Amino acid sequence: MHWRFILRIIGVLTFFFGLTMVFPLTVGLYYHEQSAIAFLESMGITVISGLLLYLVFRKDKADTINQREGMAIVTIGWTVVGLFGAIPFFLGDVYFTFTDAFFESVSGFTTTGASVLTNIEGLSKGLLFWRSFIQWLGGMGIIVLSVAILPFLGVGGMQLYKAEVPTPVPDKLKPRIRDTAMILWKVYALISLAMVILLLLGGMTLYDAFCHTFTTMPTGGFSTKNASIAHYNSVYFDCVIIFFMLLAGINFSLHYQMLRGKTLAFWQDSECRFFLGAVVLLTLAVSLNIFGTVYQTIGAAFRYGAFQVVSIVTTTGFATADYEKWPAMSQLILLLCMFLGASAGSTGGGMKCLRIMLCFKFCYKELFSLVHPHAVSHIKIAGKPVPDDVMRSVLGFLALYVGLFAINSVLLAGLGVDFTTAFTAVASAIGNIGPGFGTVGPVENYAQIPILGKWLLIWCMLLGRLEIFTVIILVVPEFWRK
Amino acid sequence: MKLYCIIEQGNDSLKIIIVGAGEVGFHVASHLTLENKEVVVIDSDPAAIRRVSDSLDVQVLEGSGSSPVVLEDAGIQDAEIILAVTDSDEANLVACLVANILSPTTKKLARVRNGDFDKYHDILREHAPHIDNIINPEIEVVKTIESMMRVPGAADVAEFADGRIQFIGIYLDKTSRLAGIKLAELPDKVTNARPLIAAVVREEELIIPRGNDRLMPGDLVYFICEKDKLQETLAVFDKHDRPANRILIVGGGNIGLRLAKRLEEEAKYCKIIEKDADRCVLLAENLNKAVVLCGDGSDQELLAEENIQDMDVAVTLTDDEETNILASLLAKRMGAKKSITRISKFSYFPLMKAIGIEQVVSPRLSAINTILQHIRRGKVLSAISIKGEQGEVMEALALETSDIVDKPLSQITFPKGALVAGIIRRDKIIIPSGDSVIQPDDRIIIFARRQAIPKIEKILAVKLEYF
Repeated sequence: MHWRFILRIIGVLTFFFGLTMVFPLTVGLYYHEQSAIAFLESMGITVISGLLLYLVFRKDKADTINQREGMAIVTIGWTVVGLFGAIPFFLGDVYFTFTDAFFESVSGFTTTGASVLTNIEGLSKGLLFWRSFIQWLGGMGIIVLSVAILPFLGVGGMQLYKAEVPTPVPDKLKPRIRDTAMILWKVYALISLAMVILLLLGGMTLYDAFCHTFTTMPTGGFSTKNASIAHYNSVYFDCVIIFFMLLAGINFSLHYQMLRGKTLAFWQDSECRFFLGAVVLLTLAVSLNIFGTVYQTIGAAFRYGAFQVVSIVTTTGFATADYEKWPAMSQLILLLCMFLGASAGSTGGGMKCLRIMLCFKFCYKELFSLVHPHAVSHIKIAGKPVPDDVMRSVLGFLALYVGLFAINSVLLAGLGVDFTTAFTAVASAIGNIGPGFGTVGPVENYAQIPILGKWLLIWCMLLGRLEIFTVIILVVPEFWRK
Repeated sequence: MKLYCIIEQGNDSLKIIIVGAGEVGFHVASHLTLENKEVVVIDSDPAAIRRVSDSLDVQVLEGSGSSPVVLEDAGIQDAEIILAVTDSDEANLVACLVANILSPTTKKLARVRNGDFDKYHDILREHAPHIDNIINPEIEVVKTIESMMRVPGAADVAEFADGRIQFIGIYLDKTSRLAGIKLAELPDKVTNARPLIAAVVREEELIIPRGNDRLMPGDLVYFICEKDKLQETLAVFDKHDRPANRILIVGGGNIGLRLAKRLEEEAKYCKIIEKDADRCVLLAENLNKAVVLCGDGSDQELLAEENIQDMDVAVTLTDDEETNILASLLAKRMGAKKSITRISKFSYFPLMKAIGIEQVVSPRLSAINTILQHIRRGKVLSAISIKGEQGEVMEALALETSDIVDKPLSQITFPKGALVAGIIRRDKIIIPSGDSVIQPDDRIIIFARRQAIPKIEKILAVKLEYF
C-alpha cells in the first residue's frame, strides 16, 4: 500500500471538491444570506486542506493503483468528502451539532435522503441548495466524476472506478475508463436538464426545480419542503417525478444506448424488464390494497400507490403520502422494496435487481438439478452464461448485505431505539432510501436517534452506497497485513 | 442525433482492436493504453481476458477474433487498426480476412510465424485479406541477433535510415574512461567520433541526460552514431571486441534454424545443438555447412567436446528461458567470449545485468517494436521501444505540412522528455543543434519518453488532420 500516494490523491480530490462549493456560495450571495459567509469559510478550509495534503505528499507518485489501494482511496475519499461537506452545515446553522452535520452530509452524498431536520423550510436557501447539490454529486459518484474530468488519476482511474461502481457484470461503454465516466456524467447531466425544464413548465420556481432535480436524478430524496413532494399536491409534478425516478433507477448505459438510437434498449435488457415489471406489479398490488381502505377513488389510489412504490424501489425516498397509515400488506411491500432496490449501474441503491434476479435463477437451477441430477445447465443472462465467480460474488454480496443489516439493526435497537424504527432505519440507511417506518417514517425524521445511533447509520449509508465490499474490506484484518 | 453528438464529442483518439491477449497482445495493449489510445482486446480464453481487464484500462471481449459478430461488437467499423496476434497463424489470417470484409478501410496487421509465408507478404497485401503488414517476430529476432553480433559489447542495437544510423545501448564498464565524467566535458575527452548520447538507463530509471549529468559505471548508455564511425565510437567506450565468426547455437527451433541459415549465407562457422533427435534430422536436412549436434545445451561434456572455449558467441534460443539463462552462463564460464540469450518474460529483464547476462533478445519485444512502428500516426518509418518500455526511438519523415519543418529547432515547442537526436538529409547525417532547421522530406530520429509520445505523434502528423 502506497499510503503517501493515497493521501496525495485524497488531497487533490478534496481540493477540487472544495471548488464545487462555489455553486452554493453563488446561491447564498444571490439571496443575500448569511450562509454565503459559511460557504466562503468552508470553501477556504476545504481547498486549503486539500492543497496542504497535496503539497506534503506531492513527490509521492506511483505508476499504478492496485485493487486494494483503489478500495482504500474510494472509501477514505467518500468519508473525507462527507466530512468536508458537513462543514457548511456546521458553520451555517446553529441547529446542527457536529454529528448532525456529518449525518446530513453523508446522507446527502450517499443519496440516502435521511434528514435530522425537523423544520426544513427554516434552513437558509444556500444550505438547502447545498443539501440537494451534494446528492447530485454523489449520485453518479464523486470518483466517477473525478475520473472523467481530472486527468491526474491516469491509469489508476480504472481501479477507482471498479471500487466505486462494483456492478456484478461490468459494462464498459468505451475502451477507456475516462471516456466511459465522461459519457455517464454527460448522460446524467442531460437527463437532469430535461427534468429541470419539465418542472419549470409545471410552474415550479427555478430554485426549487433545480433542487428537486438534483435530488431526483441521483435517487436521493431531499426536498426543500417540509412535506416533501406532497407540498405541491399536483398530479403533473407527481407524474414527472415518477418518470424521472424510474429513469434514474435504470442502468445508465441503457440510456446511452437509447440516445445512440437503439430504441429497444430498455426492452432488450433482462434486468430492465425485471425492474419495470416489478414496479408495475408492486404498484398494482399496493394500489388495489389501498383502494377503498385509504383512498376512495381508484385514480387517487393509483397515483399515491405508484408514487410511493417507485419512490421506495428506486431508493429515492420522496413522499406524497404517509404510508404508515396504509394497510399492513402495502407497508410490507414497501419495506421489501427497500431491499430490492433499483438496477445495477443506475444511481439507485438497495441490493439491485440484477443480483436478486441472479439469485432467483440460482435457486431455480438448484431445484432443477434436484429433479434432473445429471442435467448440465447454466445460469444465463441475455443468452450468455454467467461465470461462476460472478455468481459467487453475488451470493456473497447478498449474504453480507443481510448479515450486516441484521447486526446493525440489533445494535441500533441496543441503543434504545424501538423495534420498528431500528429495523427499518437500518434497512433504509443501508439501501440509501431515506424514510423508514416508526419514528423515522415519511413525515418524521432522524433527529431523535441517539448520537451513537447516527454514527451507526452513517456507517450503514456508506456501506450501502459503495455496495458493501469496498467498505467492509477495510475492516478485514487481512487487508492491513503487509 | 444531435444529443448523441454532444455526448460523444471530444473523442478523436486512435482506436485499435487487438485479437489475442497473449504476451504480445497484452504488452502492445499496455503500451498503447499508456499513450491514451482506445484499445479493445479480443480473446477466447476467459483467463487471458481476465488478466487484461484486471490490469489494463481497455475494453475486453470474450470470443473468437475471427468471428464477424465479435468484430462488429468490438466496433471494427470505427477502428483504425486491427492487430491479429494470436498464437495461431491461421486464426490471425482469418481474423484479418473477416475484418477486411466488414471494414476494408481498417489497417490490418497480422503476426504470421510460419516461414512458408515469407515470400507471400506482398501478395497477401495486394490480394484478398489486404493485410497491410505481416509481422514475423522470428525474422525480427534473427535480425536483432545479427546486429548484436556485428556490434560487439552492445546490449541493444537498432538501425535507422536503412542501417546507416545505428542506435546502440551499451553498458558502461568501471574501467571505461568515460565513467564518471560530465556530458559537458565529453568534447574535451573525445576528439573524434563523439557519440551522441540520447538516454541513460540507471537503476531501472530512464534519464535524458543534460550537460551537467555524469555518466556512471553500470549505466546503460544509449547513443546514436553513423555506421562508418561505429568502430571508432565503440573504442571510445573501450569496447574492442572483434566481430563474431564462430558461433554456437543452443536450441534448433524456428529461430535457431533461421539464424543458422543466415550465418551459412555469410559463411560463418556455426554449430547448433538440439535436444530432439527428430528435429536434428530436419535441421541437418535444411542446413548444409552448419554442424548439427544432438544433445543438451547445458551438458558440460558436450560443450567441452565441441570446444566451447574457442567460440565467439553462444546464442541460446530454446523455448525454455530458464534453460537459456543457465546455458548462457555455463557457456561463458567455460570460455565462450559472449552470449546472447533469448528471454520472453519481461519481468526477467531487470535481473539479467545482475547475473551477468548482457545481451538479451526477445521475440515478443521484437514483435512489439515492429507493431509499434506501424501503429504510429504520421510518417513513422520505424520505432524501437527501449528496454523496460519507458521510452521509444522513432524514425519519421518530416512532412511538408507538419509543424516541425522550416524553422529552427529552438522555436519548435517539443514536449518535455523528447528530443531530436538526428536529422538525415539525403546522404548526410546531421547532429542537430538549436539552430538546425528541418527541411521537408528529411528523416528525423526522435527520442521520446512514453509520456511524450502522443504529443510527438501530433507534431509529426499533418496539420490539417486536427482541424
